[in-house]
Amino acid sequence: MKKAGGKTALKRSKEEDEEQNQIFNFNRKPADEDKDDDLSDSEDSVYSGLEDSGSDSEEEEGSDDDEEEGSDDDEEEGSDDNDDKMKEKKEGEVSEEKKKHEYEHDSSDEEDIRNTVGNIPMEWYKDFPHIGYNLDGKKIYKPIRNKDELDDFLDKMENPEYWRTVHDKQTGSDVVLSDDQVELVNRLQRGQFGDVNFNECEPMVEFFSSDVMIHPVTNRPADKRSFIPSLTEKEKVSKLVHAIKMGWIKPRRVEDDGRGRYYNLWASEDSSILARHKMHLPAPKIPLPGHHESYNPPPEYLFTDEERALWEQQDPADRKLPFVPRKYSSLRQVPAFSQFIHERFERCLDLYLCPRQRKMRVNVNPEDLIPQLPKPKDLQPFPTTRSLVYRGHSGLVRSISVSPSGQWLASGSDDGSVRFWEVCSSRCMKTVQVGGAVKSVAWNPNPSVCLLAVALDSVVLILSPSLADKQVILSSERLLSAQQEGEEPAEGNGSVVWSEAEGEELNQGLRLKIQHPKAVHQVVWHAKGDYLASVMPDNTSHLQVYIHQLSRRRSQNPFSRNKGLVQCISFHPIRPYFFVATQRSIRIYNLVKQEMTKKLQTNSKWISSMAVHPGGDHVICGSYDCKLSWFDLDLSTKPYKMLRHHKKAVRGVAYHRLYPLFASASDDGSVIVCHGTVYNDLLQNPLIVPVKVLRGHVMTHDLGVLDVTFHPTQPWVFSSGADATICLFT
Amino acid sequence: MSQIQARFFTEDKRYVVDDVPFSIPAASEVQDLSNVINKLLEAKNGNKVDFDFLVRGQFLRTSLSTHMATEGISTVWILTGSYDKTARIWSTEGKPAMTVAGHTDVVKDVAWVKREGLTSLLLTASLDQTVLLWEWNSERNKVKARHCCRGHAGSVDTISVDPTGTKFCSGSWDKMLKIWSAVPTDEQDEIEEPADRPRKKQKTQQLGLTRTPLMTLSGHSEAVSSVLWCDSEEVCSASWDHTIRIWDVDTGGMKTTLTGSKVFNCISYSPLCRRLASGSTDRHIRLWDPRTKDGSLVLLSLTSHTGWVTAVKWAPSHAHQLVSGSLDNLVKLWDTRSCKAPLYDLAAHEDKVFCVDWTESGLMLSGGADNKLYTYRYSAQQAEA
Repeated sequence: MKKAGGKTALKRSKEEDEEQNQIFNFNRKPADEDKDDDLSDSEDSVYSGLEDSGSDSEEEEGSDDDEEEGSDDDEEEGSDDNDDKMKEKKEGEVSEEKKKHEYEHDSSDEEDIRNTVGNIPMEWYKDFPHIGYNLDGKKIYKPIRNKDELDDFLDKMENPEYWRTVHDKQTGSDVVLSDDQVELVNRLQRGQFGDVNFNECEPMVEFFSSDVMIHPVTNRPADKRSFIPSLTEKEKVSKLVHAIKMGWIKPRRVEDDGRGRYYNLWASEDSSILARHKMHLPAPKIPLPGHHESYNPPPEYLFTDEERALWEQQDPADRKLPFVPRKYSSLRQVPAFSQFIHERFERCLDLYLCPRQRKMRVNVNPEDLIPQLPKPKDLQPFPTTRSLVYRGHSGLVRSISVSPSGQWLASGSDDGSVRFWEVCSSRCMKTVQVGGAVKSVAWNPNPSVCLLAVALDSVVLILSPSLADKQVILSSERLLSAQQEGEEPAEGNGSVVWSEAEGEELNQGLRLKIQHPKAVHQVVWHAKGDYLASVMPDNTSHLQVYIHQLSRRRSQNPFSRNKGLVQCISFHPIRPYFFVATQRSIRIYNLVKQEMTKKLQTNSKWISSMAVHPGGDHVICGSYDCKLSWFDLDLSTKPYKMLRHHKKAVRGVAYHRLYPLFASASDDGSVIVCHGTVYNDLLQNPLIVPVKVLRGHVMTHDLGVLDVTFHPTQPWVFSSGADATICLFT
Repeated sequence: MSQIQARFFTEDKRYVVDDVPFSIPAASEVQDLSNVINKLLEAKNGNKVDFDFLVRGQFLRTSLSTHMATEGISTVWILTGSYDKTARIWSTEGKPAMTVAGHTDVVKDVAWVKREGLTSLLLTASLDQTVLLWEWNSERNKVKARHCCRGHAGSVDTISVDPTGTKFCSGSWDKMLKIWSAVPTDEQDEIEEPADRPRKKQKTQQLGLTRTPLMTLSGHSEAVSSVLWCDSEEVCSASWDHTIRIWDVDTGGMKTTLTGSKVFNCISYSPLCRRLASGSTDRHIRLWDPRTKDGSLVLLSLTSHTGWVTAVKWAPSHAHQLVSGSLDNLVKLWDTRSCKAPLYDLAAHEDKVFCVDWTESGLMLSGGADNKLYTYRYSAQQAEA
């Protein structure tokens, strides 16, 4: 009865206890049940009914326990509920202590190695004298139970150690707890950790934080779905896309923050960074290793004994090589380079101390380098098209000349004829057979006479073509015959013979023959028309130039010394100067003072032709090395400008009398017309602009245009070619 | 053409009439001609005879004018001057009628002065610095030099007769224009000869009576290339100095100067449209208004030639047509209303074209360096006219 009632009450209180501290009850369930049985007597406390434990005869161990417990309880009977609780905890403490003890002996998980029966209810052995088996398989006998309740009570009363004595059910022996064990039990009963040194308030280590760590917290490999695109997300996105497409939802507008809202602090510095990049100075390069540095150089790179001696004698700074080339049979045998550190140091010094100059790149617009020349279109008029072709000659036309009036054109050809053409209709008005290849023709520049000088072989002929007013013809006849009435011609120089034409030649218009000792190459008139000069190129004598006076039929050689092969000559149009072009230079002589005033260096290999500006201060000169040089006599004796427009040798050059034009004829079959304005202002240099390339002649025997001359009044240019034609370009 | 000069020949002795030309109305038919003959023969025999007429081997069946038109018989003569120092008179069929020789040098220009019946006065200008005034009798086919106009000091390149036929103007290489009388007289003008000139030479060269200019107009700085009469008081001249000048003949002063940029080769004036056409050494034909005072106004330029334009001529009966010849061997017919391209390219010449002209009947003529004279008929123009 008591038991049952106690049990129910106990159960009730137990439930409450379990609710409070279930933890303690897990492992000790069987023991608790034993206790329940034991403590069935006490109403108010769980362990109070120790006296009843004796009544539990069926269970020896339990009774043992009860006895001990009972003694405990007895000791503290009358104390408050806390004490009871303490006891209860103490009991748990015993099992804990036991475990600890076991661990001291053995680290294995086994409960008790002394008794091998395992974790079974011990009442199964209550009818046996033994309580289990030891490791050797021998029975463990129950200790002789001689204590009864009285002994127990007495023990409880007398034994001061009673409260700390606990009964070991498995061995059936009583164990007295040590102070440490009691302390442990007390700690546990207070709800503290068993370990004294354990600090339960240690700072928490956050393993799973928001920080991304380089190493994974767990070692678990990443699962597959983290590698494959999520289908659900895809589905969601496609739904959103569809909705946006259908216009069901509108995507949020992204506000354009690009301009206005933020000030670009580095907008201006960006370029400075670029500038720093531009300022980059590359380090001087190390010369690449050569054969000397090879570990196995060809024998010629190895030092001979003398070289070696020399190398050793030399100051290290003067040595050609900072090391001695050596030969090794294999790369394995190459020792460490002893100079390595030194060499690196030198290199660092080089980089640090080497003065490096920044090469300033000059950015020049190439168009700025071209001089600002006016457009040819603005320099009209100049000849542009071939208008007339004068055909009739059968040989190359070496020389042409236009009458001062501009009405007639005379041409001398290799076919031995001199032809007179009407300029405006290209009709040949007259043909004079002179019997020899004509080298040069020149119309008398004086408009009051009408005479033509023709140079062929070694003769200079004076023709009166009678293509002018009767007055003019008359005056020219008078000029020619003036000498006859006067005294006999003073033959100062015996080598030149003047003779008059007779008979048939007279009818043809021939008037005078001036016989020269050598082949005449060129004939030119003085501007007044009384003097003419002829050239007989001869490198060996001083007898190369003659100046003839027509009215007095006198000839003289102005030069007493040979200064080189004379190519061409010219009179100054105004002053008494005489231009003589030799192979490489032009000499200007003063005829009055009989001295040389200037020598122009042409910088060309072989002068072919020369023309003097009507103003007299400028000379152009063409050469066989394709060059045309313009000399400003006031400026320098060097060419003011060299024009290299022609592809082949320049054969003839000419100035226009009125227009600022000059032309050059070349073997490449072209005539190049240039604009050349000459200013009265001495400070202003002539303006030279090439304006037109005129083509019209056919190349014959590698010869193109042989002579060029301008019309005296119109901006027209005549050119005579090797194809036996003369062209007029207007 | 109302009157026609005609002569009548017959083999029959009975009906012979005097061998003199008669002026007969062009509209007269066979019956009218018969009446004329009968009238002439009235003195000899009284009875009237009906005559038939052969004109150049063809029976006359219609009126004289229509017969001449159908048979191509004309009374228009063409005068040409040539570099062979002669001038020639041609019929429009191309038959040479007469060669006028007398110049000692190239004939540069020719002109008809007037035609009175069978005698015509014509002028030839030459490189030998003279202009000769000839009288040509077409009936006897005789030519006679009436006057030798001396005074130029250069080749006379151009002549032009004034509309009344009493004066003519010549332009020369010596930059002068000279006005001469075109009326033949029997007295010789006094000429001041240089004293030292050989007398005999002068005599041998004399051909016709010497005539001196009435007036000399000087102002050009280069050779005069073309001259014409705008009306009876105004002379217009083109020159190599890039100007066209208009002169007053009465006072001898210059009225207007038109300045171009190139040498002028030729000018032509049309009284119908009062425009001056000029051809120059660039390839353009330019039209000018001669009455502008500033003288720099080019109305229009016609560009299609590829060489110098050596000759231009306005149509005598059409205000918009002109013909031009060029060194590119082409003669072009232009209408100023289509200035971009010519109406026709007349490509007959094989060499340079030097002169072009129109006849009264609308026939175009051109002469060139290939020694040929071409005539062109422009049918559309004919129909229009």
